[in-house]
Amino acid sequence: MKIARIKAIAKKEIFHVVRDPFTLALALLLPVMMVTIFGLAIEFNVQNIKIAVYDGDQTQSSRKLIDTLASSGYFLIDSFPTQFAAIHQVDAESDRAALMIEPEFEHHLWSDRGARAQLVLDGADNSTVGSVVGYFTAMQDLATHKILGSPITTPVEVKTRFLFNPELNSRWFVVPGLLVVVVGILSILLTSLTVAREYENGSMELLLSTPVEPIEIILGKLAPYVGLGLSAVVFVYIIARVFFHVPFLGSHFTLILGCVLFLSTYLAQGLLISVTTRKQQVAMQIAMMSGLLPSILLSGFIFAIESMPLFFRGLTAALPARWFMVICRDTFLKGSSLYALRYSFLALLLICTVMVVIASKKFKRDVEP
Amino acid sequence: MQPTLNAAVSVTELGVDFGNFKAVNQVSFSVAPGEIFGFLGANGAGKTTTIRVLCGLLIPTRGTVTVAGIPYLSEESADRIKEKVGYMSQKFTLYNDLTVAENLNFTASLRKLERTYYLKRKKELFDFITFDKPESTMVKDLPGGMKQQVSLAASMLHNPEIIFLDEPTAGVTSAAREKFWSLIKSLAKNGKTIFVTSHYMDEVEQCDRIALMRSGELIALDSPKGLKESTFPHPLYELTPKRKIPYSEIEALRSPDYFDSFQAYGLRFHASPRTAQSWNEFLMRYSEDFDSQIIQPTLEDVFIRLVEGQNR
Repeated sequence: MKIARIKAIAKKEIFHVVRDPFTLALALLLPVMMVTIFGLAIEFNVQNIKIAVYDGDQTQSSRKLIDTLASSGYFLIDSFPTQFAAIHQVDAESDRAALMIEPEFEHHLWSDRGARAQLVLDGADNSTVGSVVGYFTAMQDLATHKILGSPITTPVEVKTRFLFNPELNSRWFVVPGLLVVVVGILSILLTSLTVAREYENGSMELLLSTPVEPIEIILGKLAPYVGLGLSAVVFVYIIARVFFHVPFLGSHFTLILGCVLFLSTYLAQGLLISVTTRKQQVAMQIAMMSGLLPSILLSGFIFAIESMPLFFRGLTAALPARWFMVICRDTFLKGSSLYALRYSFLALLLICTVMVVIASKKFKRDVEP
Repeated sequence: MQPTLNAAVSVTELGVDFGNFKAVNQVSFSVAPGEIFGFLGANGAGKTTTIRVLCGLLIPTRGTVTVAGIPYLSEESADRIKEKVGYMSQKFTLYNDLTVAENLNFTASLRKLERTYYLKRKKELFDFITFDKPESTMVKDLPGGMKQQVSLAASMLHNPEIIFLDEPTAGVTSAAREKFWSLIKSLAKNGKTIFVTSHYMDEVEQCDRIALMRSGELIALDSPKGLKESTFPHPLYELTPKRKIPYSEIEALRSPDYFDSFQAYGLRFHASPRTAQSWNEFLMRYSEDFDSQIIQPTLEDVFIRLVEGQNR
């Protein structure tokens, strides 16, 4: 293996990247776009939920209940004179929920029968229903306290404290995960395109007609993309720290080690796609299917793996993105050590080894005489 | 057939299998140093597979191959062969988004050429192809013919003994093709062995010898003149219809009653009578339908007769 040849191939590859507007745009704009879109737009903390309210009681107690909701910051109150009008708002999807306070609300509150109000929710909108119920339960306790004027005492008191992300800030959760998505898609897409391009225009055969070895081609072609991938890591890290103020409690070494393993896995996967398809367009489609979608949908980036059906939970175990997601989030937010993350690292190492071996064998079998 | 001593390329009973498919079967030939050797065949005839073997890109399944005096036995010998041969393909010439200098630097780096040698060699080759544009010109801005010539220069940077040219002039102008072939002849005159495939029969005429491949087998090997004589031992006639001849009648003429071969060339036909008597019989019956004249067979006639004609 000759370093000079690897350098020559890497240099040529850099020329291709710098001079190809598509590759350049992909390498530079994709991280910007993804960080912007996901970092700013994804918000798991639902706020300003419009709620239609029918106050059939019109007493101090019912008004206190409504005020508690309004002042929480979670709800926007739309008042309606009849139950029908309030329900109609939910039907028409103008409001997410309707709160019906019955006429004898205050009277029942102070009697032994207990006050009752009904919350009607749009069950078709799964994304906000859970949040509304959660918020409303919390508001209910607060309103009871305000109305009755004394602290609520229950036999068992559970106090909740959120570790690592005390305010449950969505961005702290989302942005470190973006590292996985951005690095994953960049590495797999660019690699699959670069090798497929050599096959498509016939230059792979010309390269192989020289004494260059397959391993030199692999290393020379992938080296610039390792650089690009690591640049993306630095880029997302800076955005996370400077713009989104995400804390970084772990070791940079642990994060970089995870990045290198993850990059190697996806570069090998890109190479495998290239060698198998040999067409840029097909390679791109497969890269998107096997790289981007699992990174977003099955890595735990948005949807919790624990909530997935058993089959998909098993499937995620074979996805490098799932393990790197754990490494990223835990390194950023928990400051987890290499030892604490040993299972994720071992899983990633195993997948990486398998992928590199398969890709190298396939490539060598295809190009060697 | 034993390997030929001192041959630039010697192939004996070469066979290449892809699974159960025999891509090349029992092919034997040798190429002398300084010879321009043409390699013809229809698509899928086994030309590219043979060239891939000779360039060290594919290990043969059977047979003996010696290139530039190196017996092709293993991957290691493939690497040694690659040092001695240059390869230029029609599909890929140079990287369009690199400059001329960057392309040549890249090739020189892959071949590990020493810097002073490379610069000297580059100048020689630029003089040889009369390249007069700045080296910083992007390849995509070069005319097609010039691109082919620079590509030829790139394939010769390491001063190979044998140059394999796979349809080198496809898609370039006639003038550029002419210049390219003058370069090829000049190389051969200086002792380089040229192994070339082409679809242009006028180009192939300029080869010293031509091998014809069909379905993975070598079906003819001779000089252009020898091929014509052996393929058309009887005179070749060009027949021009005087009226519109129904297709069924044309098909009837293809039967071996009158002709060894009967091939359409646009609106005319090239026909080689089986015997003098069969020609006379044809004239007696069809003289009102066709004008006829004797023509000299071209390599295209040979190709159609031997390669394509068999498939019709």
